[in-house]
Amino acid sequence: MAYQPPKQVILLPQTQQLKACTTIIRDKNTQRADFIFYSDRIIRILVEEGLNHLPVVEKTVVTPTGREFQGIDFQGRICGVSIMRAGESMEQGLREVCRSVRIGKILIQRDEETALPKLYYAKFPPDIASRYCLLLDPMLATGGSAIKAIETLLDYGVAEERILFLNLISCPEGIAAVVAKFPLMKIVTAEIDAGLDEKLYINPGLGDFGCRYFGTDK
Amino acid sequence: MKDNKLANHVIAAEGRLPWYRSDGQNCDCYIVGIAGGSASGKTSVAQRIIKNLNVPWVVLLSMDSFYKDLTPEEVEIAHRNDWDFDSPNSYDYDLLLETITKLKQGRTVDVPIYDFETHKRVPNKHNTVYGANVIIFEGIFGLYDKKVLEMMDLKVFVDTDTDICLARRIKRDVAERGFDVAGVLKLYQRFVKPSYDNYVYPTKRNADVVIPRGLENLVAIDLLTKHIQRQLQERKMQSRWDMARMSAPEELPSNVIVLEKTKQLMGMHTIIRDINTSRHDFIFYADRLATLVIERALDELPYEARTVQTPTSQTVHGLGQKVNVGGVSILRAGGTMEIGLRRVIRDAVIGKILIQTDPSNGEPQLHYCKLPPSLREDNTYIFLMDAVIGTGAAGLMAIRVLLDHDVPEDRIIFLSFLAGPHGLHTIARAFPRVKIVTSYIDSVLNAHTLFLEPGLGNFGDRYFGTENE
Repeated sequence: MAYQPPKQVILLPQTQQLKACTTIIRDKNTQRADFIFYSDRIIRILVEEGLNHLPVVEKTVVTPTGREFQGIDFQGRICGVSIMRAGESMEQGLREVCRSVRIGKILIQRDEETALPKLYYAKFPPDIASRYCLLLDPMLATGGSAIKAIETLLDYGVAEERILFLNLISCPEGIAAVVAKFPLMKIVTAEIDAGLDEKLYINPGLGDFGCRYFGTDK
Repeated sequence: MKDNKLANHVIAAEGRLPWYRSDGQNCDCYIVGIAGGSASGKTSVAQRIIKNLNVPWVVLLSMDSFYKDLTPEEVEIAHRNDWDFDSPNSYDYDLLLETITKLKQGRTVDVPIYDFETHKRVPNKHNTVYGANVIIFEGIFGLYDKKVLEMMDLKVFVDTDTDICLARRIKRDVAERGFDVAGVLKLYQRFVKPSYDNYVYPTKRNADVVIPRGLENLVAIDLLTKHIQRQLQERKMQSRWDMARMSAPEELPSNVIVLEKTKQLMGMHTIIRDINTSRHDFIFYADRLATLVIERALDELPYEARTVQTPTSQTVHGLGQKVNVGGVSILRAGGTMEIGLRRVIRDAVIGKILIQTDPSNGEPQLHYCKLPPSLREDNTYIFLMDAVIGTGAAGLMAIRVLLDHDVPEDRIIFLSFLAGPHGLHTIARAFPRVKIVTSYIDSVLNAHTLFLEPGLGNFGDRYFGTENE
């Protein structure tokens, strides 16, 4: 692959079974039940990988055999932030890994007059400024709404280096746009596609993720 | 031909001790063949031997199951009572030999069910017989076929006076089959007696032991039983304790895959190992960890290129899983991985093998196994699941069970949360083509408790909440 993502990007190990999962969710003939199931599987791996980038401290525990185990403990608290609507599809996967995690929501829509992303709604845990944020949006295309969402988080006092942006499919254009603006945050992605087409859809992509997940496509 | 509810089912009153050597290879099981005339008391003698032996995992195999299918014309003759069921040609010796050969090797077999109404094998039905340490095979031609004879460890001929046999036969056929005495005698004169004189009685010379007077001869049966017991005693083996005492190299076998020590993995291990972790948390993190182990194991399967169209009509050259995956959990603790398995393979077929350790000697015992037939299919890989591989004794037994059920060794992937070098080497030595995926290695195996250290205690107890407070 000629494309080398910038160092802020954490690409999941491109294993065969991950490729098999993305093949299923890209296939237009995949039924919704399968789409949801295999998306959730990828999301769980994304979250598992994202959490690996949080700080830890050493911790020693005693096991039932009476011996010590040299382990670790996580430092700092986390919260999820989903960019509505598609980002909410990732909450299930997040909860399977982080049981009772707090989840904030952001609604961003394209402003009809300016054609720019506009923030319509944001609701976060009150102490979000002290937390690590897992920002959830399944597709990173132009990066427009992601940038708006990150700006919002920064407005609420979240430190840029404490943001992990999780997505299933990204592209070089979106990565470049986000990284240029926020070089301290990290992007965790399952696959990087070739680029954007003339309609600014990810190519080859998988269509509208939210519609396929929530069943609102025709 | 008689109803015999005991026939063709393994009688298992208690767990089955290892029936294989520490290199994983099966020891031949012990086969006793019993022949004798019709109504001579073969089955009764066989049952008495089983009762006297008092060992579990014995199967009584009846030669009646191996009658040949009759053609429609032959069935008509049979219904007129003109068919000679007492001819040595009435049996399917090829199938019989195949069945006994597989049983002797310790493999699972499907014994046909013969329907005496239609004189055909019941289609698509059979008795699956697995796990016998001793096979007692009985039939009037039990000592007839040369190749079948070669399979036997002990050959017995029940030599009951023909008058007594006839009297029993009349009594039985009149009472149980609704025959009249004349009908019984007709068959006896035409078929039973000539066949006995010409074919059955001469097989007496193939016998190692002849029991005169059948079941009445308690002394002879007692001697036989003692002989069999002595033979079985010689074959007995001790495996688990020896395994713990054997030294294992630090370096892991090449077929072992250990998950990468990421922060998350270390964090989860810290939680499940901590003696103070609540069961609530233990279960949550065990399930999460299981999911990662399963995901890792999936990467060991074969994949093939698959091209699909996206909803935006783009072509994607992706991959597709080439094979199916079935799970087999080693109960009790291996069952804890099933949640992880279902998170990744929603509708995975799951077989179960219950293996418990005898606390008095550390030996594994097989108590139960239920494996779906689809596990044997060509395109199916088996994820064999256990929580901890300590000595490797339970894993070795479980893999042996799968092989006995015709699952090829290279299609087994053995998964665990935790493993130690002892167990891994034990399994790898015996079954080098089985891949092992585990999330962590603890290198100390306590030879007294057989727990890994630092370990995590008894995984099943902690997960299911059955530990002593």
